[in-house]
Amino acid sequence: MEEINHRTVAVNGINMHVAEKGEGPVVLLIHGFPELWYSWRHQIVALAAHGYHAVAPDLRGFGDTDAPPAVTSYTMFHVVGDLVALIEALGRDQVFVVGHDWGALVAWSLCMFRPDKVRALVNLSVVFRPRNPTGKPVEILRAAYGDDYYVCRFQEPGRTEAEFGRVGTSLIIKKFLTYHDPGPVIVPKEKGFADAPNKENALPSWLSEEDLNYFAGKFEKSGFTGGLNYYRALDLNWELMASWTGVQIKVPVKFIVGDQDLAYHFPGVQDYICKGGFKRDVPLLEDMVVMEGVGHFINQERPQEISNIILEFIKKF
Amino acid sequence: MGTEGISHRKLHVNGINMHVAEKGDGPVVLFVHGFPELWYSWRHQIVSLAARGYHAVAPDLRGYGDSDAPHTASAYTILHLVGDLVALIHALGQDQVFVVGHDWGAAVAWWLCMLRPDKVKALVNLSVPFSPRNPHCRTLDSLKAIFGDDHYMCRFQEHEAIEAEFAQIGTTLLIKKFLTYRKPEPIVVPKEKGFDGCLETPIALPTWLSEEDINYFAGKFEKSGFTGGLNYYRCLDLNWELTAPWTGAQIKVPAKFIVGDLDLTYHSPGVQDYIHKGGLKKMVPFLQDVVVMEGVGHFINQERPHDISDHVYEFIKKF
Repeated sequence: MEEINHRTVAVNGINMHVAEKGEGPVVLLIHGFPELWYSWRHQIVALAAHGYHAVAPDLRGFGDTDAPPAVTSYTMFHVVGDLVALIEALGRDQVFVVGHDWGALVAWSLCMFRPDKVRALVNLSVVFRPRNPTGKPVEILRAAYGDDYYVCRFQEPGRTEAEFGRVGTSLIIKKFLTYHDPGPVIVPKEKGFADAPNKENALPSWLSEEDLNYFAGKFEKSGFTGGLNYYRALDLNWELMASWTGVQIKVPVKFIVGDQDLAYHFPGVQDYICKGGFKRDVPLLEDMVVMEGVGHFINQERPQEISNIILEFIKKF
Repeated sequence: MGTEGISHRKLHVNGINMHVAEKGDGPVVLFVHGFPELWYSWRHQIVSLAARGYHAVAPDLRGYGDSDAPHTASAYTILHLVGDLVALIHALGQDQVFVVGHDWGAAVAWWLCMLRPDKVKALVNLSVPFSPRNPHCRTLDSLKAIFGDDHYMCRFQEHEAIEAEFAQIGTTLLIKKFLTYRKPEPIVVPKEKGFDGCLETPIALPTWLSEEDINYFAGKFEKSGFTGGLNYYRCLDLNWELTAPWTGAQIKVPAKFIVGDLDLTYHSPGVQDYIHKGGLKKMVPFLQDVVVMEGVGHFINQERPHDISDHVYEFIKKF
């Protein structure tokens, strides 16, 4: 990871660590949970080599960026506020955006709040989810999957952190990054997050011990509370985002997902994609790619393909 | 009385029941009141615009009158308020509406235009210009720096203490004091003087405000209390935090701004330069017209109802 530059930028009241490389139009790369700027290591190098200024922050709550203590400091308004300030600090009017997982949700919100700031968007894994005015998201998930659904388990402050602590950071990261089951993530309280404690998952070819240690080292230092607070702010986000009920995303978009990604198997997602809902809500959705045999951490699993798709798309603008 | 033919109903919007007063058929004109007011502040404009072929709609905003008033103070952010109006526009079956705002209603209207410009055909805002977010200084800190800790908006932060002080003054007298306030200067309320001491009791009501009008307002506020309306002020710093994404953003809706030259808002430091020397136009590039009405105070839509109705009509008929 030589030649990637690191600095801290003061944005929206926090200190944000960004990794960057290259010169040219800015491509802002937004990671998910439980990840870091590092998830974009391959794309940063590829984009820089093709005449772009790749910028990958640690989002608030993660890695070397500040992690304010309150759950209420992790709404979309805070996180998008950070990115708008970052774009301003980079001296740009508009940037390209690439998002994955929670970063994809943040990117959808950035497009709703400040479409003027986004030239084009490549989003990975998580489709746009129009706000349902009739019910709060965590309540709906709880009703659909029960209290042991991972999003519901993540709600109680401190509890998940304690469970993760019992399993150990490195093993937790490994479990997340190697997760390949397309079904919903149900975590019964008796088992916790440490199923089959004696089974050692082998690392996939796209994830080295060095990579795992980088993630684990940063999460060991920061803890998981910052990242978990995004889930804990879900219902608050819903309440605060009433103004965007029924809104469309008015930015050119390319969407990519692996067919083994649990996000591709969330209820309703494939209908939403195939039966026109996605295109209705994202009228400038230019293209969708479903990658066969690929899981959730698509930017790490198929790095070159993802870099190529991004480059092919953004060069049109 | 002039409120004949105004119909009333309740609509379920954004999780609350919202009382709306309306009259007329045609393109919708949404009237957004301020503090401490109600739909009733627009009684003249509702009748006038209905007579000219518009469907005038004036809600009681969340926390006021016959609309719901959630208990949590943090349920009164600008995002909740704009969310209510977006849901109201949807409930009225409209894609786009005209909007007229005054005082807090003007602030909500600016933000409706900022967050959902696709919902607003054109805006006429009264009294309160758009105030761009300062990323380096929270709202209350900015107010304190300019006006000190006793500025009424800072005093309004005192949960329950202000309600108690208001209750001591009595609702009818308090409404009279507020609605007749005419000093061209900000309201600063040292604790020793209190709101009773700082807001004069009028000797006689002005021609544009009858006992009947006062009693209407007072009756509704006696029933609802002032906490709902005060909670808007209590969300000022939270609004600052939540509107970070719109730092430096422009409002892209055709707009007209009208203010009385005796309005306290026209006498904040720097505001006249801001309004007349390009600051407001920079933030609101489609600002088409600025009108300063001589000898007119803060409650401009009640003080000069026909002028305001005419200004609204003359502007919106262009679209």
